[in-house]
Amino acid sequence: MLGVAGLAGPLGRAALFVGLIGAFFGLIAAVMGTRSEDEKVLRLVPRFATLSCVSAIAAFAAMEWAMINRDFSLAYIQKVGSKSTPALYNFTAVWSALEGSILLWLLVLTCLTSGIVFKYRDRINDPMVGWAVATMFFVGIFFFILTLGPANPFAVGAPGVLDGPGPNPLLQNHILVVFHPPILYLGYVGMTVPFAFAIGALITGRVGEGWLVETRRWALFSWGFLTLGIILGSWWSYEVLGWSGVWAWDPVENASFIPWLTGTAYIHSVLVQERRGMLRVWNLSLLVSTFSLTILGTFLTRSGVLNSVHAFSESSIGPYLLSFFAIIVVVSVALIGWRGQKLHSPGTIDSPLSREGAFLANNVVFSVFAFVVLLGTVFPLIIEAFQNRQLVVGEPFFDKLAVPAGLTLLFLMCVAPVLPWRKASGELLADRLFWPAWGGIGALALSVGLGATGFAPLLTFALGGFAGGAALRQLVLATRRQGLRGFVGRANGGMVVHIGVILIAVALAASNSYTHSQELLLKQGVVATFDGHTFELIGFKEESDARSTVVAAMVRVDGGKTYTPAITKYKSIGTNIGTPSVKSSFVKDIYLTIEPPVKVSSKTAKIKVFIKPMVMWLWIGGGLMGVGTLLSAFPGRRRKPTDATSALVPSETSA
Amino acid sequence: MKYLKTWPVWMLMGLIVVALLTVGTTRDSGPLTQSDRIDSITKHIACPTCDGESVFVSRASAAEAIRNQVARDVSAGTMTDDEIIGSIANTFNGKVLLVPRATGIDSLVWIMPIAVLVCAVAGLWAAFRRWRRDNSGEASSDDVALVEKLLAEDPTDEDNV
Amino acid sequence: MNRGKNVPYIAGAAGVVLLAFLVVLAMAKPGGSESASSPLLGKPAPIVKSTTIGGGTFDLARRKGSWVVLNFFNSTCVPCRQEHPLLLDFAQEQESSDNAVELYTIVNDDSDGPVQAFFDTNGGDWPAVRDDDGAISVAFGVAKVPESWVIDPNGFVRLRIMGALTKGFLTSRLDELKTQFAGG
Repeated sequence: MLGVAGLAGPLGRAALFVGLIGAFFGLIAAVMGTRSEDEKVLRLVPRFATLSCVSAIAAFAAMEWAMINRDFSLAYIQKVGSKSTPALYNFTAVWSALEGSILLWLLVLTCLTSGIVFKYRDRINDPMVGWAVATMFFVGIFFFILTLGPANPFAVGAPGVLDGPGPNPLLQNHILVVFHPPILYLGYVGMTVPFAFAIGALITGRVGEGWLVETRRWALFSWGFLTLGIILGSWWSYEVLGWSGVWAWDPVENASFIPWLTGTAYIHSVLVQERRGMLRVWNLSLLVSTFSLTILGTFLTRSGVLNSVHAFSESSIGPYLLSFFAIIVVVSVALIGWRGQKLHSPGTIDSPLSREGAFLANNVVFSVFAFVVLLGTVFPLIIEAFQNRQLVVGEPFFDKLAVPAGLTLLFLMCVAPVLPWRKASGELLADRLFWPAWGGIGALALSVGLGATGFAPLLTFALGGFAGGAALRQLVLATRRQGLRGFVGRANGGMVVHIGVILIAVALAASNSYTHSQELLLKQGVVATFDGHTFELIGFKEESDARSTVVAAMVRVDGGKTYTPAITKYKSIGTNIGTPSVKSSFVKDIYLTIEPPVKVSSKTAKIKVFIKPMVMWLWIGGGLMGVGTLLSAFPGRRRKPTDATSALVPSETSA
Repeated sequence: MKYLKTWPVWMLMGLIVVALLTVGTTRDSGPLTQSDRIDSITKHIACPTCDGESVFVSRASAAEAIRNQVARDVSAGTMTDDEIIGSIANTFNGKVLLVPRATGIDSLVWIMPIAVLVCAVAGLWAAFRRWRRDNSGEASSDDVALVEKLLAEDPTDEDNV
Repeated sequence: MNRGKNVPYIAGAAGVVLLAFLVVLAMAKPGGSESASSPLLGKPAPIVKSTTIGGGTFDLARRKGSWVVLNFFNSTCVPCRQEHPLLLDFAQEQESSDNAVELYTIVNDDSDGPVQAFFDTNGGDWPAVRDDDGAISVAFGVAKVPESWVIDPNGFVRLRIMGALTKGFLTSRLDELKTQFAGG
C-alpha cells in the first residue's frame, strides 16, 4: 500500500507543473487570440483551462491520497499528518496549513476559470471576455508558482519519519473545520471573477454597465460565501476556543473582514451604476480593493509578519504575496487612470437626499471602516519595521472605532431603503419613515422595559428597530403588490439580508454589554446557584485513546440536561485544550468552561459560567443573511424596456 | 392618518426617545461579580506570547498565569482596576499594553482614523455642495459642448458602448 | 468630474508606497541583546515560596547569603533543551568553587512527570521548583522560556538573561557582578 501511496509526491508535483503550463499557455492564447482576433488561437483557451483545472484537481487528489495513506515521505504530511488522527480530521488536515490551503485555493480558482470559459464559450471572441479570462489565468499562474516555489506541498520530507503530530489540536475537534475554510475560500477566490471582468472592461474601454451586469451574480455569491465563512468562523470561535466570545479582532479575522467591508460597499454601489451610470470610479476602486485585500489578507496571515516582522525575510512566501499584491494594485490603478476620461458618468447626483446620495455615503463609511481595521492590523508591523519594538493594537482600539461605524451603518439602513432615486423631500421622508420610526421607539421601550442600560447598546436597539421597520415596510409593500414574489429579487432579498444584519447587531450589543460570569467551585452532589440558574456536578467522564485524553465534568443545569465542559490533552503535542459546553436558548446562552487543573479524585470542579444574552440571534441573523442572498440572486420583477428606471416621486407643489 | 404624520407628532416621538434613553443610561446596571471584574480587567491586558490577543481571549499558558494573578489581586480587594492593570504592565515591562498610548508616534494609530474621517466627511460635503450648485437648472458650457460632441458621434461605433 | 486626471499620480504614489513598504520589511534586522531590562533590576526579588519536585520546599528569602540563579524552564521548549548542557557545566563548576552560586529551575507551564523524566535522562541534580498558577513567572514578568535571573546574597535582582544561555556568558557576568557588589 505504501509503495503505491509513495507515488503521490511525484504525481502531485507533476500535476502542479502541468497546471502551470496550462495556465501559462492559456494566458498566452487568450491575450494573443484577443489581440489578433484569431478564432483558432482562442479555441485553444478552453483546452488550456481544462488542462489547468484537471491538474489542480489531480494535485489536490494526490495530496488527499497521501494524507489518507499517511505517506510520511512528504514534508507536509510529516507536518500535519498522524497515524492517530481520525479519518474525517485527517481529510481536512490537508487545508490545515499553508501549502495545502494553496492547493485548495488553486482548486477553486481553476474550476472557476473553467466555469467562466464554459459559460462564455459562445462569446470567447468578445475582447472583454478574452481579457477577463487572461486575468484569471494570470492569477492562476501566480498561485501555481507559489506551489512550485515557497509553498511546495509535495516537498520531500526528512527520511525515516514514521509518524507526525497531526494538525493543530484546535482543528481536530469540531466538524466546522470541514466547512469553514472551503466556504471562506469560495468567497475569497470568487471575487477574482468580477475583478477579472473589471480588468477586461478597463482594457477594452467598455466601462459602461455591461461588465457589471454580467458579473452581478458572481459578485453576490462570492460575497455571500465570504459572509457565511466569516459567520462560521465566529461560531467556531464560540464553540471551540472556550473564551466565550465570537470575535477577537485578531489578524486572521481582520484579514477576512476587511475585504468583506469593501465587498459590501461594492455590491450596494453597483446599483447606482446600473440605474444611473454613476460612481464608476468608486465601483472599480472598491472591486479592486476587495480582490487585492484578499491577497493582502493572505499575506498578513501566512507570511508570519504579524508574529514578528523578521519572519518576512525568513520564508519567501511573504515577498511573493506582497509583490503580487503590489502588481495588482499598481496595474489596476494605472488602468483606471488610463481610462479616466471614459469613466466620466453621464449624470451627477441630483441631491444628497436620495438613494444615490445614501449609497455614496455608504461607500464612504465602509471605506473608512475598512481603512481603520487595516490600520489597526498593520500598525504593529510598521512600528516594528521602523523602530524595532513590539507594539500591540488590541480589541479596545477596534471596539472603540467599530461601534460608531456600526451605528452609522445602522442609521443608513434606516433611511436608505425608503429614499427614492434622484431626489426626496423632507415630507416624503417623514411620511415613509413614520412607522419604521415607531418600530425604533418600540424596540427602545422594550429594551428599557427589560432593564437594558448603556448608551451604545440602547442606541443600537433603537436604530435596529428603526432599520428593521424600514426593511419590513419594503417587504410588506412588495408582498402586497406581488404576493410571495415580493420576497424575491434584489431589493426584497436585500431587505431580508438587512434584517439578518440587524439581528446580528442587536445580538452583539446585548451579548457584549450584558454578559455576566461567575466562577463556581462545584462539589459533587451539591447544587450551586448563579443568576437564577442551578448547577450541580454529577460526576466526571474520562476518555482516552491513542490521540488524546479527555476529562469532562458533568454538570446538570437547571435540573435538566447535563452539560460536559472538558479539557482535552493531546498526547503528540502535549497541550491542553479546553472545550466549552453551551446551553442555548432564544433568550440567553449558558456557557460553561472547566478551569484546570482537574482533580477527579477530589470530587470538585472549578467551573466558570457565562450567562450571555441573545447569542442565538447571531446565528439566526447569519442564516437570514444567507437566505436573503439567495433570494436576491433570483430575478425580480421583470423590467420592461419602457419602464422608468426609477420610481416616480410624488409631485410637490413647489419645484 | 395624515394628521398622525405631522411635525408635532415627530416632536413627541423625539421626546419619547430622549426620555427612554435618559432612563436607560442613568440607571444602575446591577452588581458586578468578581468574575465580571476579572473579565473586564483581562480584556485590557495583552497576552505577552500571542499575536495581540487580550489575556481574556488567549488560551496560552502565559495568559492563564496572568489571569490567575488578576484573580488573586481582585480577591485581595486592595487595588482598583487601573492599578491592577498598571502593576502587571509594569512587571512585564510595558509589553502587555493592549492599546498604544496616545503619545509619540503611537498616537498616529488614533489620529489617522479621525483625520481620514474628517477628510471623508469634508469630501462628501464638498461633493454635495458642488452638485447642488451644478443642478441649478441651467446647462453649463461643458454640458453644451458634451451634447454637441455626442450628437456628432457615429451611433454605430461599437467601441464606445 | 475631472477626477480622471489625478488617477495616474495616485497610481504612481501607490506604487512608490508599496515599494517602500517592501524595502522596509526586507531590511528589518533582527534585534535582541543578551541581557534584558526589567523594572525589577536593582530591587528586592519577588516572594518565591513553593514546593520542589523532589518533595521539598523552596523559599527564595531563605537563600539570602548566597548568589542564586533561577532558570525558568519547560521540558518541551527547544532552546531550554539546548542550553541544558551549559547549565550542567555551570552546576559542576559551582560544586568545586567557594562562594558557590545556587542554581534552581523554575518549572514554567509543565508538569512533574515530563520535567523529572527530562532531568533523569539528561542529568542535573539541582532542585526544580513548581510554579502553581504561574504566579512566579508572572511575578518576574517571564512570558517566554528560557530565562535566567541572578539574585544577589541580599535578595536583590541583579541580572536578567532572556533566551538560551551561551557558553561562558553566565559565569563571566556572575564574576562581574560579584566584584561589582563585593561583599557578596
